[in-house]
Amino acid sequence: MELCDIPAYELSLLLRQKQISAEEITRACLERIDAVDGRSGALDSGSLTPEDEQKVHAFITITRESALNQARAVDQKLAAGDDPGLLAGIPFTTKDIFCVRGTPSTAASRILANYTAPYTATPVTRMEAAGAVMLGKVNLDEFTYGSSNESSAFQPAPRNPWNPAHVPGGSSGGSASSVAAGEAALSLGTDTAGSIRQPAAFCGVVGVKPTYGRVSRYGLIAFGSSLDCPGPVARNVVDAALMLQVIAGADPRDSTAANVPVPDYLAQLDGGVKGLRIGLSPDYFRIAFPDPQTGEYREQPLPVDIETPVLRAAEVLASLGAEIVEDVPMPNTRYGIPAYFVISRVEAASNLHRYDGVKYGYRTPQRTGDLTKLYRQTRNEGFGLQPKLRILMGMYVSAAQYSAQYYQRALRVRTLIRRDFEQAFDRSGKYRLDALLTPTTPTTAFKMGAVYGDSVLMQYADQLTVPANHAGIPGLSLPGGLDAERLPVGIQLLGPDFSEDMLLRIGRAYELATQTEDWRKVKPLVLR
Amino acid sequence: MNDYEAVIGLETHIQLNTTTKIFCACKADSWFDPPNTNICPVCTGMPGVLPVLNKAAVEKGVVLASAMHAEIRPLSYFDRKNYFYPDLPKGYQISQYDQSLAFGGYLDLPVPPANGQPAYIRKVSIHKLHLEEDAGKTKNAGNERLIDFNRCGVPLVEMVTGPDLRSADEAAQYLMRLRQLLRWLGVSEADMEKGHLRCDANVSIRPRGAAYLNPKTEIKNVNSIEAVRSAIEKEIERQIREVEAGHRIEAWTLEWDEDAGVLRKMRSKETEADYRYFREPDLLPIRLDDAWKADILKALPELPLVRRQRFMDAYGLPEYDADILTSERNLSNYFESAVKAYGSDPKRVSNYLMNDVLRMLNESSKTADQLRLTPLFLAEIIKLADTGAVNTSTAKSLLQKVEESGKAPAEIVAAEGLAKVSDDSAIRAVCLEVLAESPKEVESYKAGKVTLMGWFVGQVMKKMRGKADPTLARTILEELLA
Repeated sequence: MELCDIPAYELSLLLRQKQISAEEITRACLERIDAVDGRSGALDSGSLTPEDEQKVHAFITITRESALNQARAVDQKLAAGDDPGLLAGIPFTTKDIFCVRGTPSTAASRILANYTAPYTATPVTRMEAAGAVMLGKVNLDEFTYGSSNESSAFQPAPRNPWNPAHVPGGSSGGSASSVAAGEAALSLGTDTAGSIRQPAAFCGVVGVKPTYGRVSRYGLIAFGSSLDCPGPVARNVVDAALMLQVIAGADPRDSTAANVPVPDYLAQLDGGVKGLRIGLSPDYFRIAFPDPQTGEYREQPLPVDIETPVLRAAEVLASLGAEIVEDVPMPNTRYGIPAYFVISRVEAASNLHRYDGVKYGYRTPQRTGDLTKLYRQTRNEGFGLQPKLRILMGMYVSAAQYSAQYYQRALRVRTLIRRDFEQAFDRSGKYRLDALLTPTTPTTAFKMGAVYGDSVLMQYADQLTVPANHAGIPGLSLPGGLDAERLPVGIQLLGPDFSEDMLLRIGRAYELATQTEDWRKVKPLVLR
Repeated sequence: MNDYEAVIGLETHIQLNTTTKIFCACKADSWFDPPNTNICPVCTGMPGVLPVLNKAAVEKGVVLASAMHAEIRPLSYFDRKNYFYPDLPKGYQISQYDQSLAFGGYLDLPVPPANGQPAYIRKVSIHKLHLEEDAGKTKNAGNERLIDFNRCGVPLVEMVTGPDLRSADEAAQYLMRLRQLLRWLGVSEADMEKGHLRCDANVSIRPRGAAYLNPKTEIKNVNSIEAVRSAIEKEIERQIREVEAGHRIEAWTLEWDEDAGVLRKMRSKETEADYRYFREPDLLPIRLDDAWKADILKALPELPLVRRQRFMDAYGLPEYDADILTSERNLSNYFESAVKAYGSDPKRVSNYLMNDVLRMLNESSKTADQLRLTPLFLAEIIKLADTGAVNTSTAKSLLQKVEESGKAPAEIVAAEGLAKVSDDSAIRAVCLEVLAESPKEVESYKAGKVTLMGWFVGQVMKKMRGKADPTLARTILEELLA
């Protein structure tokens, strides 16, 4: 096993035992990047070559030199006997939606392609303060608007390491693919409707969407400000816990970051599941979506390949002493996507207002001679299709004459979705769940180009993840097996506010119990 | 003119004088600083930044709302007001919309007598009172447009009156009273020339006594109280001319050209802009619990108009005196302390303040609390004059001497030998001296020119460097010349 394939927690032990150096770890990752990543995403990068189609393309910017410098600094601290920090020497990637001082911070959009951030996002600051080594900025859907990464203005878009003909998911596709391909042990992603959990599921890695406010949003280029959650992508639950430990906590620069103490996630990790009540809901085993042809709302059960790993996980947890509670009603799940469509677009349109070609970022090279034309031309040339669609939709549903029937109504739906969870988790209620166990996604990773172009259908990839964003509760996605095409299937655990410790504990128990199963021995295609 | 009355509402933007901006730690006051020096990623709207509320802005807003008798909401929210402008770096202004810090409120505006009309009180209602962030400034320089972001994020209270004012003078009075109040409360420097206090005026006319509202025009860019008065006057005249000529008043936005003294049309007001307000997701609501509110309001001083009335009622001051003595909070505090120390006749203290202390303040541009001539010293000087220990002119010069030296009046009197000489023999000796030196005048006096008595007294005072008791000197002179 190469250093870059060893999980963060074990790397950390080896490093402290001085069996390896931080520089060696970083070099191993950089070599892996050279071997499997192919060319980094760039604007106007021409058509794909057959070779491109075999590569991962996780990165937009590789910060090779600063990574090696950071690694050497860790080695010096270790040599001097200083505490190098909880994540010392652990390589990670950062979704290019976070500002990192001195690096291009592009949001995978032409409009920010030339923008170099003058400051660093709080979660990245915390990673680096804990000694973690940033290898670079990874690709995503433009401004995180998508579930496949195909909408990035920086092409080639990331591909799924398990089969490069398939998408890695999104919008944290670069995060999930870089971790799955062993390019980095950890990645910092964001989740607005499932953007950490869905690509984690598609790429067979662990993704945590923390409670809203658990991790500071300062420096995260905003999409839906009331929904956005930064969180870890990792290769196993222990590593995810380690990373969450570092990035979680109050931040004087983000007033929506919660002043709730951060528990010791690692200390409780092996607490087991005995006596825990874990629920299954029929509303998470079917999906409702508008028919692409007729627009009619259709409902259908999930594919067996998706359902089976979840039910098996329930059996595993039951065998470990958990109590499985079936038939938990979550009736408002089906409204999650339509409500999300409205709320996120209103916030997105407003959040995109600042990209006007005046202060920073792209400005049309044409001489317009008129302010309004400058705005229009700049935004027309600088934004890709997804931002434009979201601006149109957001402006429409927040207009004075429509706001009541769309935006205000969506906010009420959001309250109802939250209520579903409150009832399920109510300590003195009928179900008294510690967690809800669900599939993460309705399908495994789809083929590149299969869904892209249908913005509505693409959005339904988030159907099982978005309720947690509406409700603000934490969610954890972890690998639950492989489908017939040997693509990863994700299972999801949802819990009450600030129950990350509980979710990680359940995830860890499941991970340990299934450690020796055959599917865990299968490697992603790019590594075979 | 008599057939019409003006209907005026004022929209004011008040910069709160906090140390830092409302959502970041940048210095708020940039008056003396070059452009774009008090800025950071937050107030320039860099990607990914978040606002963090400055509590001091809330506290000053609460003080103002309370002084305007507004209802303060225990729970209020920030909202985004979306529009594009280069001086608005986020493309939205963080403001408050439907659940703002406070609502309602009024100011009982005393309107002084004018043109033969007696004084009266105009009740001015407050329609809106909310917190928001200021935008930057743009200016044209040749073919370029320059932006200064220093002002971005300076805390503002937007306060809008009802259509309650009826003349340009009333509007000017309102602004004067508002400025007085803001400084009194210490929430804003309220200097219109520096943009601390900005005002747009909505003006319409209607037949006198009518209850309906006609279409109004909005006057922008007026940055002094006099300019507000002139601009409104001009606009009322214009509207009357238009109506008399059978034209309709259109809802224009007008700009006041200070140099030319004319209003120019900026734009026709089309349909109301849609700012697509929605709750600011980056900020928590303002939860103003009773403890916090009580803590803020415990320092709320007696309001200027209340104090003005009390000065009239309790001290028997004329309205004119009460008005001037309450024009500024330090001055009114000074007056009360001096009255207390003096112990009687507040009007006598007022006279000293209005005649002498105010002049000292104006000349030194100090505020009353900065004077070395403390209220105690002032009271002491007045008492010295009352008891005849010094004469009136010495008392007046003592004011200046105390201010210059910071020494107690009695100390100065002793050191400089300023005490009034009431010793009969000392004055008598000088009187004899004067008469001996002025045989011609003595002759004229005795011949019947008794008005020369004043001249004789003056000569005695001169010789005694003003220390003589003039009444005593006169008695002695009369006796000697009899």
